[in-house]
Amino acid sequence: MNDPHLGGAATFTAGRDPASDDAELLRRIGRGDEDAMAAFYREHGRIVLAQIQLVVGERVLAEEIVQDTMLAVWRGARAFRGESSVRSWVIAIARRQTRDRLRRQRLRVVDDAFLAERPGSDPGPEATALDRAELADVTAAIRVLAPAHREVLGLVFGSGLSLQEAANVLEIPIGTVKSRLSAARTALSRILDEKGQNR
Amino acid sequence: MNADISTPHLDLADLIAEANGEATGNRVRGHLAGCEQCRREADRWSLVAGGVRGLMAATPEVTQPAQPVRPARSAVRRVLATPRRRLVFAASAAAAAVLVGFAGYGVANLVSVNGPGTGGSGGTTTLTAVTGCAKLEQATGTLDRVGGDSLVIAMAGGKSVTVTTTATTRMNASGPLLDAVTDGASVTVVGKGSGGTVAANFVVVGGNPSIEVPDYTILHGTVSDARTGGFTVVTSTGTRVPVTTSDRTVVAISNAGLAQLRTGARTTAVGYAGPNGTLSAIAVFQPADWLPGAHAEVTVKDCSPDSINHTIMALTYGG
Repeated sequence: MNDPHLGGAATFTAGRDPASDDAELLRRIGRGDEDAMAAFYREHGRIVLAQIQLVVGERVLAEEIVQDTMLAVWRGARAFRGESSVRSWVIAIARRQTRDRLRRQRLRVVDDAFLAERPGSDPGPEATALDRAELADVTAAIRVLAPAHREVLGLVFGSGLSLQEAANVLEIPIGTVKSRLSAARTALSRILDEKGQNR
Repeated sequence: MNADISTPHLDLADLIAEANGEATGNRVRGHLAGCEQCRREADRWSLVAGGVRGLMAATPEVTQPAQPVRPARSAVRRVLATPRRRLVFAASAAAAAVLVGFAGYGVANLVSVNGPGTGGSGGTTTLTAVTGCAKLEQATGTLDRVGGDSLVIAMAGGKSVTVTTTATTRMNASGPLLDAVTDGASVTVVGKGSGGTVAANFVVVGGNPSIEVPDYTILHGTVSDARTGGFTVVTSTGTRVPVTTSDRTVVAISNAGLAQLRTGARTTAVGYAGPNGTLSAIAVFQPADWLPGAHAEVTVKDCSPDSINHTIMALTYGG
């Protein structure tokens, strides 16, 4: 058997098929292969951390949730059936871990979810705020979006999930993903507009 | 340019695919070429996508193997070494006991602190086993220097130990570190409330510890208006609570960076023995009030992840 340590990064990058490699990693993790767990961590840890941190807004808490997520992967790798991509599977686990953690902390992780699908006025005056905005302004404004909005933006634009995969992770219909994305952009435009008026 | 504006406007899936740089095909490209409305929509989504990616790209790497020889084992150790237990602190009503109440969770149950020259490893060894779990090691001494991802702890007898850290190493610095209380910082304040103002005895910067100290006011929130002598805590409900500080206020940075550790301060590192006498740390802490030369003996109930995590959390918030 190849030793992934000896192979180094090339073991997982040279001519790799991400989907099959990820699935193989999970099979090895299911057999208790710590090397595979380390490789899985390297492959997905950072993006999972980024997605969680985008939602919870706090590095320490996000790291703890990543650890919980990876522990769940370690314990539950055998449960992966290949019905979704590994990336969306692990992000779905991370989302559940986040929800459970924040519920325990009595924080309302998706307290704005019921507002998240409110249709925006599109296109409207707020769009001009986005037209005028610089990238740095947008990045700063995303930080203060509601968690449900940050979450859907992160899934679609940051974690590289398709709309259908995002819908599966969020456990909502794909149409709701679209309306939530639009609502997120409208909220973002409002924030930018308010910032612009306060300057 | 020929504008294919006879086709319906692009839908959200098309616009997002375009923003994500995916191959969108001639239909989308053709429509964008001739439809300014959709082009502007695509540009807006691209800007949003860029903002999201920029934010997420700023997230530091997570969990790099501490030891190149055994990255997998290190990673799994970290997976299994998750601090995730709620801590309940208890203290007497005496003001002085507030700090003891915090540190006491660690000091009384998990860390025994001995004065200079009493017990401990002295200068005979560098690493000593953590009581309750032989595979965990600890080193206590004075922080000599920090460089890269490592720090050097100088110990009695002229010995020293190099401690390596990773992104997941928990580091705590405690003391009169009011400079760390800055606008925007997440804090937990323990103090006495009077007339709508809280006089802070103890401030934890970062993290979100669950703290219960009888007869004391506990505030969780974000710092605003930080200044000499106090700051304002903005709670999750938007309430603004004035907080006063003094030179007796102890600040614990629950997630300190290496740069925030104080050179010359008493320092304890807990972790796993690495090559050449190094220590791969899962926690490094600098308590507020140890006497020069004092040393700590860290105790865990057993080697279970829960037990280790329990101790690390206590050290992080209260060490």
